[in-house]
Amino acid sequence: MKLAGIKSVENAHDDSIWAATWLPSTASRPPLLLTGSLDETVRMWRSDDLVLERTNTGHCLGVASVAAHPLGSIAASSSLDSFVRVFDVDSNATIATLEAPPSEVWQMRFDPKGAVLAVAGGGSASVKLWDTNTWELVATLSIPRPEGSKPTDKSGSKKFVLSVAWSPDGKRLACGSMDGTISVFDVQRGKFLHHLEGHYMPVRSLVYSPYDPRLLFTASDDTNVHMYDAEGKALVGNMSGHASWVLCVDVSPDGAAIATGSSDKTVRLWDLAMRASVQTMSNHTDQVWGVAFRPDGRGGRLASVSDDKSVSLYDYS
Amino acid sequence: MASVYIPVQNSEEEVRVALDQLPRDASDILDILKAEQAPLDLWLIIAREYFKQGKIDQFRQILEEGSSPEIDDYYADVRYERIAILNALGAYYSYLGKIETKQREKEEHFILATQYYNKASRIDMHEPSTWVGKGQLLLAKGEVEQASAAFKIVLDGDRDNVPALLGQACVEFNRGRYSDSLELYKRALQVYPDCPAPVRLGIGLCRYKLGQFEKARQAFERVLQANPENVEALVALAIMDLRTNEAAGIRKGMVKMQRAFEIYPYCAMALNYLANHFFFTGQHFLVEQLTETALAVTNHGPTKSHSYYNLARSYHSKGDYDKAGVYYMASVKEVNKPHEFVFPYYGLGQVQLKLGDFRSALSNFEKVLEVYPDNCETLKALAHIYVQLGQTDKGQDFIRKATKIDPRDAQAFLELGELLILSDTGSALDAFKTARTLFKKGGQDVPIELLNNIGVLQFERGEFELAQQTFKEALGDGIWLFLINGGNKSSNDIATSTLQFKDMQLFHKLESTGHHIDLPWDKVTVLFNLARLLEQLNDSGTASILYRLILFRFPDYIDAYLRLAAIAKARNNILLSIELVHDALKVNEKCPNALSMLGDLELKNDDWVKAKETLRAASDATDGKDSYATLALGNWNYFAAVRNEKRNPKLEATHLEKAKELYTRVLIQHSANLYAANGAGVVLAEKGHFDVSKDIFTQVQEAASGSVFVQMPDVWINLAHVYFAQGNFSLAVKMYQNCLRKFFYNTDSQILLYLARTHYEAEQWQDCIKTLLRAIHLAPSNYTLRFDAGVAMQKFSASTLQKAKRTADEVRATVAELQNAVRVFSQLSAASNLHIHGFDEKKIDTHVGYCNHLLSAAKVHLEAAEREEQQVRQRQELARQVALAEEARRKAEEQRKFQMERRKQEDELKRVQQQEEHFKRVKEQWKSSSHSRRRERTPEEEEGGTGEKRRKKGGKRRKKDKHSKSHYDNEEGEADMMNEPEMEDEDVDNYIEPQTMGNDDAEGNAQDLLAAAGLEDSDAEDDMAAPSSNIARRRQALSESDDDEPIMRQSSPIRENSADMELSDGEIREPKTNGDDGSD
Repeated sequence: MKLAGIKSVENAHDDSIWAATWLPSTASRPPLLLTGSLDETVRMWRSDDLVLERTNTGHCLGVASVAAHPLGSIAASSSLDSFVRVFDVDSNATIATLEAPPSEVWQMRFDPKGAVLAVAGGGSASVKLWDTNTWELVATLSIPRPEGSKPTDKSGSKKFVLSVAWSPDGKRLACGSMDGTISVFDVQRGKFLHHLEGHYMPVRSLVYSPYDPRLLFTASDDTNVHMYDAEGKALVGNMSGHASWVLCVDVSPDGAAIATGSSDKTVRLWDLAMRASVQTMSNHTDQVWGVAFRPDGRGGRLASVSDDKSVSLYDYS
Repeated sequence: MASVYIPVQNSEEEVRVALDQLPRDASDILDILKAEQAPLDLWLIIAREYFKQGKIDQFRQILEEGSSPEIDDYYADVRYERIAILNALGAYYSYLGKIETKQREKEEHFILATQYYNKASRIDMHEPSTWVGKGQLLLAKGEVEQASAAFKIVLDGDRDNVPALLGQACVEFNRGRYSDSLELYKRALQVYPDCPAPVRLGIGLCRYKLGQFEKARQAFERVLQANPENVEALVALAIMDLRTNEAAGIRKGMVKMQRAFEIYPYCAMALNYLANHFFFTGQHFLVEQLTETALAVTNHGPTKSHSYYNLARSYHSKGDYDKAGVYYMASVKEVNKPHEFVFPYYGLGQVQLKLGDFRSALSNFEKVLEVYPDNCETLKALAHIYVQLGQTDKGQDFIRKATKIDPRDAQAFLELGELLILSDTGSALDAFKTARTLFKKGGQDVPIELLNNIGVLQFERGEFELAQQTFKEALGDGIWLFLINGGNKSSNDIATSTLQFKDMQLFHKLESTGHHIDLPWDKVTVLFNLARLLEQLNDSGTASILYRLILFRFPDYIDAYLRLAAIAKARNNILLSIELVHDALKVNEKCPNALSMLGDLELKNDDWVKAKETLRAASDATDGKDSYATLALGNWNYFAAVRNEKRNPKLEATHLEKAKELYTRVLIQHSANLYAANGAGVVLAEKGHFDVSKDIFTQVQEAASGSVFVQMPDVWINLAHVYFAQGNFSLAVKMYQNCLRKFFYNTDSQILLYLARTHYEAEQWQDCIKTLLRAIHLAPSNYTLRFDAGVAMQKFSASTLQKAKRTADEVRATVAELQNAVRVFSQLSAASNLHIHGFDEKKIDTHVGYCNHLLSAAKVHLEAAEREEQQVRQRQELARQVALAEEARRKAEEQRKFQMERRKQEDELKRVQQQEEHFKRVKEQWKSSSHSRRRERTPEEEEGGTGEKRRKKGGKRRKKDKHSKSHYDNEEGEADMMNEPEMEDEDVDNYIEPQTMGNDDAEGNAQDLLAAAGLEDSDAEDDMAAPSSNIARRRQALSESDDDEPIMRQSSPIRENSADMELSDGEIREPKTNGDDGSD
């Protein structure tokens, strides 16, 4: 397996790009790459030439996360001011503006069926679930406070939630927090199941394998990527190689590889069979905040976005 | 058997004395001799016979009697015989003197001999045999020149005097003029072909010395033919056999040597050679016996020197350096000049080197070097000594010379590399590489230590791939290969085991599945270094397994525990890290490295008191010599000084003073300690000596570049702080940014905060806000950053509103920013907690209130601005319409004019046509006068031209009017804006009142009342530190920045620690490679 650069757009945004995701194709258009940036805009790019389709404005304080509905018609973007904007992809009409103060908004993910939007709630130590029909808050999955800790404990009695991931069957939801623990929830019952331990630094990104609903990949500031059996609470693999924080991780649609982006400015491709880094892309000149495999379509594609304001597209085969 | 007949006096009878039946008591014979007044030659014969029979006393008795004064009187006219007797005595005492070992007796014998010869000379000055005897005596006394003179006198008289010839030959031999000596021996042989064997021996020796070995051999063999028991010839031949350096030759030589020994067990030369042989065969007992015998039987300096040397060598090789030293010394004493026999000097030097007496060793090796200036071993030994004496440069010179003389001496290159390690790693690496190539070329195994050193140097220079190859080469094949590549084999055990830092199950399992886990002791260091390298290459998982492999076999290897702890610490698993350090402390509870690390971890855990105790313990464990512990204590004091928000000036001063003292102490011990210098710089900056501290930081920064083991971001930050404190914001920004990029992959939110603060001071609000947003994105749970961002937005808005000129867009941006600020603050008020974040709802509410005030004011402004804009737009629109109307009017005018013109022209044309027609008609009538027609036409055309021109001018004037009008518009606009500030000032005054009241409530601080220019400053005091007084602000700025420093500081010890460990590696590798080849 390997990556080959197809196209790079320098200055794709006016400032650091912090988020990227693919919008699946619809009947009327091909898949689009959605990017969010510190310049307060969300942009849509048509592959493979990365032609700018549209620039959405309206956010304040930098766009930190973007999420795509599995049908491809709806997308959500959120910024540091903790507003979530849900919009129609084709018309750019705002469908809803979500906020759940005092909870902040970090990473967001639609569930595989597209019925729920999960939002990592930062300091509220919870994940907020929004119904995608009514755009009402339907559930708050809270991480229980660890036993024996005092509320004034400086290390933070609460788990600051940064990232979320849905299992492919939509039954489980995992979230990563600043202290490195990963919490797994039973979504249907709205119940906290257990923690996964092994990281002791922020987990900024995590993703389930598309085929194995138990297999979870996590990226942490400790420079490592872990593989967990999310049900059995067991750490089944550790992949080290990045020189600095691992900021993002995504798994390929065929489930054979994962890609990671890091503060060390590189994008790495990992062969899951060998559990080793098979390729390192060094085309970015600053931290790589987002990597995303294109979910469908012919020919694998991987996109990466970086603090260097550029978007890169690679062929994955 | 021969008999002597003593004639009986006054008779024809003779007394027959059988020589083999001489009476035991010589007096019997003497009585006869005296009574019969026997001729003196009979005395001599009898005495000689006694001598031959070994009856020395009788011999001496007869001769002494025969040279007594009575005899002189009685035999006064018998001169020759008297002289012969005296000469015999002289020769006898010469011999005694020659073989005597005690100096005093020797002298006495020589004096006696001299007396006898002198007496003989008094009888007859010219008797040659006396001269020969004297010559021999002088030779025995070592006075070669005088001996030569004596022999010369004889030879002048009779050039064929054989004894004199032999004597002179001996003289020449001793002078080293072997060919002259050879000539003399030959002549002696010609004159007297029946010469005894020694003459041929002499010839043989001369030939040998002249290098004519075959002829020498023939000569010696002739001697042996004549006398198969001639020890000297045997020994000489044996030596020649030995010198062939072939096994067969040596065997033959040893057989001869042995025979010589059997014939005459006291030949020192043979003994020495035998001892030498047994030294090489390792039979030290024989060596000692033989050499001791040799020493007992010889008096000859060089031979004794050899014997002592043999003895010393024997002890040396047995490791008894004291005895060896004594005997080497004895051997050296027997040698007059090092040129004659230099080996004992070398040996003595080696022993002294071993015993640590470098100065003496140095002088001895230098003597060897005088004799053999190109001897590599000596050069290497000297180099080693100079290094030990601290004269590294000289040491390098010598070892360089050695490598130049023998560019194939791998050992020399290895040593050169070791010498260069400290001063010039590049050259050291080159030397090591050469050594490696040489070892390989020579088909030898490259020593592991050498590969290790190469690897470490490559590591240090950042050539990680090469270093990895080198380490792997050094390690060769083993279980580690399986472990290193194990990750690829998706073996679950290995993958999961990477995280269990204390797990040894993996190895037990491997053993149970038939893997043989073996780790030779000499590969531990290399394995450790490889693991360290893997850490550097971010493969901490494999590194952790390798460290554990070391611990599995060598559970006392403290460094491995510490590195595991460091990996755990890097992953922020502090508790595990502490546990691992405790494991290390179980091995050695006073290990200063482990204690230091523990202290650092405790500090990270915010356990200040415990940390201090631990660091103290670390410092005590090394009697305060460990700079790291002292430094850490210095840092501790420094943090303690600046830690508290409520500063106690007294306490602060004490802590600072203490910190300074500790830093200084380290600097005194190690003047090149970067960390101590950095610390001293910080304390100086803290006290306001910015220029000095800047110098220090700059120097430290320069010194810290170049090695991967020295990473000092702190000094960059400190330098930036100094620039900041001095108001040089642009440089500070650059410095912070470089530091972020160079050391932190742009991930450190703390430095981003510094950067934001610098932008804030420089009033670059947008940069400040953006920087803070980045910091929030990196550290989402740090609410202080959000608070600061809110403050920055508020400040930006306030400053925009205060600006004299601003557009509606600017005001709109201000409003947006204020709304953001309000949102940020209100979110904070819900989420934050005073205890955790250092600000409370009240304070936030104050901000929210202020922002809302600003917002409402801004809305007014916005409306005003928008109205203004509207007006401007309207005015512009109006102007535009006016312009359009004007244009339209102008165009209409033009059109009208144009049409008028056209009509005119048409009229004219018509008229002309009419006229032409008329003219034609007239022409037809007149057929002449065309001039007048032309004259009429031109003026009309001219008129049309000027008309057009005029129109153009008119247009221009109109344009100018328009321009001046719009200019006026601008002026109006400006006037409008001029009015505004006054209004705004009032507004601002209005806002301030409620705020200060709010502040009163919150803190009741009078100073805050003074912060009239805006609330933001008074708040910033808490978070971004900006009190009103400029000096205080700077000071606070610095201390604030230092406040943040604990985080950075705590990180620096890790680095230092790792450097320390590298050092300890170095220590490990040093003893291994410091081969004192001298002793081999």
